[in-house]
Amino acid sequence: MSAATEPMRGRVSTHAAVTFLKNNPIFVAIAILAVITSIVEPKFRTTENLDNIIRQFGVLIFAALGMTFVIMAGFIDLSIGGIISLVAVVTVTQIDQVGQGPAILIGLGVGLACGLLNAILILTAGALTQAEALFITFGMSLVYGAVALMYTQGVTQFLTYSQSDISIFNAINSGSIGPLSVSAVMFLIALAILLTIERRTYMGRTVVLTGGNKVAARLAGIPISRSILMIYAISGLMSAIGAVVLASRVTLADPTMGTPWMTQAILAVVVGGTALVGGRGSVLWTVFGALLLILLNNCLNLLGFSSYIQFMLRGVILILAIWLDTAKQNAVSK
Amino acid sequence: MVEASASPALLSIKDVSKAFPGVKALDRVSLEVHGGVVHGIVGENGAGKSTLMKILSGVYEKDSGEITFEGKVIEKTTPVESMHMGLAIIYQELNLVNTMTVGENVFLGRFAESGGRAGVHAKARALLDSIGCKVNTHKLVSEISVSDKQMVEIAKALSFDSKLIIMDEPSSSLTNDEMEKLVKIIHDLKAKGIGIIYISHKLDEIFGFCDVVTVMRDGHVIDTKPVGELTRNDMIAMMVGRTIENEYPPRPDCAGEPILEIKHIRTRKLKDVQLTLRKGEILGLVGLVGSGRTELVRALFGADKVADKSILLDGKPVEINSPRDAIALGLSLVPEDRKLQGLLLGFSVEQNISLAVLTRLTRFGFVNSKEETEVGERQIKALNVKTPSGRTKIRSLSGGNQQKAILGRWLEMHPRVLVLDEPTRGIDVGAKYEIYLLMKKIVEDGGSIILISSELPEVLHMSNRVATICDGRINGEFDPAVASADEIMAKAFEFA
Amino acid sequence: MTSITQASRSVIGLQKAFLAILMVVIAMFVFNQFDATRSEFFSQLNLINLAKDSSILLILAMGETFCLIAMGVDLSIGGMMALSGVVVLQLINAGVPIPVAIALVLLLGLLVGAINGYISVYQKAEPFIITLGMGIVLTGLGQQLTDAHPVTSAVPDFASLANFQLFGVVPVLVLVMFAVVGITFWVLRTTSFGRNVYAVGGDYEVAKYSGINVMRTKAATYLISSVLASLGGIMLASQLNSASSISGDAVPLYVVCAVVVGGTSVAGGIGGAIKSFIGLILLGVLTNAFNMLRIDSLVSYLPTLLLGVIIVSILWLDSYGRKRRREAI
Repeated sequence: MSAATEPMRGRVSTHAAVTFLKNNPIFVAIAILAVITSIVEPKFRTTENLDNIIRQFGVLIFAALGMTFVIMAGFIDLSIGGIISLVAVVTVTQIDQVGQGPAILIGLGVGLACGLLNAILILTAGALTQAEALFITFGMSLVYGAVALMYTQGVTQFLTYSQSDISIFNAINSGSIGPLSVSAVMFLIALAILLTIERRTYMGRTVVLTGGNKVAARLAGIPISRSILMIYAISGLMSAIGAVVLASRVTLADPTMGTPWMTQAILAVVVGGTALVGGRGSVLWTVFGALLLILLNNCLNLLGFSSYIQFMLRGVILILAIWLDTAKQNAVSK
Repeated sequence: MVEASASPALLSIKDVSKAFPGVKALDRVSLEVHGGVVHGIVGENGAGKSTLMKILSGVYEKDSGEITFEGKVIEKTTPVESMHMGLAIIYQELNLVNTMTVGENVFLGRFAESGGRAGVHAKARALLDSIGCKVNTHKLVSEISVSDKQMVEIAKALSFDSKLIIMDEPSSSLTNDEMEKLVKIIHDLKAKGIGIIYISHKLDEIFGFCDVVTVMRDGHVIDTKPVGELTRNDMIAMMVGRTIENEYPPRPDCAGEPILEIKHIRTRKLKDVQLTLRKGEILGLVGLVGSGRTELVRALFGADKVADKSILLDGKPVEINSPRDAIALGLSLVPEDRKLQGLLLGFSVEQNISLAVLTRLTRFGFVNSKEETEVGERQIKALNVKTPSGRTKIRSLSGGNQQKAILGRWLEMHPRVLVLDEPTRGIDVGAKYEIYLLMKKIVEDGGSIILISSELPEVLHMSNRVATICDGRINGEFDPAVASADEIMAKAFEFA
Repeated sequence: MTSITQASRSVIGLQKAFLAILMVVIAMFVFNQFDATRSEFFSQLNLINLAKDSSILLILAMGETFCLIAMGVDLSIGGMMALSGVVVLQLINAGVPIPVAIALVLLLGLLVGAINGYISVYQKAEPFIITLGMGIVLTGLGQQLTDAHPVTSAVPDFASLANFQLFGVVPVLVLVMFAVVGITFWVLRTTSFGRNVYAVGGDYEVAKYSGINVMRTKAATYLISSVLASLGGIMLASQLNSASSISGDAVPLYVVCAVVVGGTSVAGGIGGAIKSFIGLILLGVLTNAFNMLRIDSLVSYLPTLLLGVIIVSILWLDSYGRKRRREAI
């Protein structure tokens, strides 16, 4: 008996592994990418480079994590660029007034407030579709960005480390807790919290249910409105955290610094496998999506491609990712 | 009397069958339509009328049988081809582009051939005048009345030089005056030699201006006869009578105290509805499609906006402004269209089932997934849902099993008042019996049920009382033990 | 947009937008009476510049109008415009005869439009993201080609293409713009294709059942949008005598919003050349007025702020109108 079943069990788990990889091609992509690059460019494997990867990861991932819930619910948030800019300038300018800690808290509060404002506008308008949310949040992006500009008169605000050597920003940028950098710890905590919300809590469940079938969810008593408030609040808050990390990295706050992150965040979410139309996804997938993007950037850098080509490639990846996702959806529904 | 048999048939349908997964929509249907004759088709919901029309126009493809139009056999066609052939259908959901003008709609897709802006409007004007319609061709379709919209559709049909015009429930949104106008146009078309198929629920219309009528039931043609040879009762009997294959559990007893009183609901469609549901009873609600039955329960449940609403639960007035409110009060609504309004396709069976009771499974904000699985298993067993496991994605289940899972969602709530809107539609005979048993158990345990169904035998055998709704108003109440199917259906057809 | 399928009435009617423009003009006239708020708004120089700047965007807006009426959207027009300007100048500087260079760049626009159309329509992918991605690709390509430095024209003749003032006053560019607007108007109003665009956007299923080749019609709108964006880029390069690869950044959403302000709905089925024209002029005049008024601390931020507020308000009203008409809560 056992001799006959032993090889069977081995085959079964390979089959399961293959199916898993087929359904989640992103792992394959990351693996291939990592392998190819480390062969072609040995510099890839240096700790310096890996460190670099993790640092870049830091800003993108917060914005992308926040965006994930919004997209899972079948909406979208185009205002994160404006929010990041606004939070960054507010935080940095407030340091001299109230000190670092409180300044950061104010910044987070601003991000949260922006997110809630987005949600309130969407709810009062009765917007139920992604397209409506799209334009409303885009408009708000302009508003937040303009406020950032007005607040600073267009002048870049520099992070000056005051008398004390202990700077929170410095710590975020280069400090470490044990073997991990501070920002890595922040990321892991955020991921743990969001993942718990997503998988285990009622409100987390409402997010993906809202994206799945709003009519059915509503009829079953799911609180759609509360869900919308939550997703945009989280998006705003996460953007704010990303802004603080960004300001720490570049030691300045420029009133337009948030702009490129919006498309990056959407890319990371979509590439990670979360469906753009909502109803399916996970913050965990987004982590891998962001990782793939950063790896790609890194490889292209090491291989000598110009930053413009990298920029272009983002567009290409975006198109391909959506195209593949759509093709998959079409195949399923047939 | 009409000399229908003298001339060759304009349209000949022989032994046409069409099956969809799980249901035979048409079973060897045969009938003949002649030019210059108004041929009525009547039947209950689900009799197969619209399936037949969609096959004629090319939206569906028949499985077998032969269709001949003007002597030519038609194998497969498309909506455009059939229009060009001279076979026009005017659907209930009008086939017009709301954002474009009347003239453009008449010649949709044929703009240049019809002479551009000037030509299109001139020709449309001529066509509309020929049927006595004065609507301005430059007006947007969204701005004109339903009656005028139908005129535009007729004009469109005429612009194709149609020989056969099929009208699907045209009068549902017309006033009496508008109806008179339509009848006159039908007579004019008839005089021109055009054949007309007139599908309707309104027996008065059939008797009023149809020459011949075909009665359909359960995908069969029961009979085709000149209108003069039938009485109203004959027709109802043919539509409704059927061999009862299903068995029903013994009719549950009824307690008596009113638990739910709808004192007053008014919406766009509902005129002034009053209804009382007693504790432990099954109240059947019978009405035609469009009578307001679904609107009534949706308004009750807080799913639709209402102009005016007054509900008493256990004698106390309650506010129900959203489905959440309703659920919190112990009401459950199993929607009619379970695919659109019930299924979360990307999710597992157990997630779909536990959807409505998620709050119950939540403690301190956290969902207990073990209990979720238990809930799923419980309902899967109770309703005999065929699925490999609770974790299977619901989209891989068959339609009937999907229905059952959604039903399980609501049953899990142990509601005080359960509203079932066509609960056994699309479900096989064996499963139906299981559902009837469950219904009986629910009322035995103290719940109350409002049962909306188009299957009269089901309503008659399961209900303690039956109310009929017609044209947005409750117009009758019957004791099914005493009243007959015919009586009840007659009330459902009784447009004031 | 895959998610909006009900047609909605336009929020701001033609009349209201036109009135708004009138009000701004009157306000500026009033402001000119007082020293504190006097400005160069009505100077010939400003008006001509305003006309030229608006002309470029108007050319793009006409293309976008086709897309929006058919219920699609093209966000790659910014990148297309920037890339076109860059490429045409590089070709001309390299000695390619001006007409040939222009033809090649327009062909490029056709190609890009074809790709957009294919993926969005035939592959049924969400046009918002696809064209957004394409815009990124085009911008990146432009940057790669120029190493992110602006390109200047080495052939002075090229500048006269846009800037030569007919009758001493009217720049050719403006005439080109009017031609494009006129042709758009004519096509949308009087041709079968134009009517089909409205039908496809108004009710896809009905249009399909009426025999209209819905996919081909929708794909064609993307072709038109890209080619016109290309033309706009060429004209811009001529007007400024230089081209920058990042000139297209805020453009697409600005143009879409201007078109919506003018009376096209995001939900498709309505809109038109004149409406888009008025919408864009309104935004252009507003922005210009604020620039001219030169209110110190607010100068460059107020237009953006205003634009954001206008966009949010318009779309909010659009959604709210639909909410009120809905039966379900």
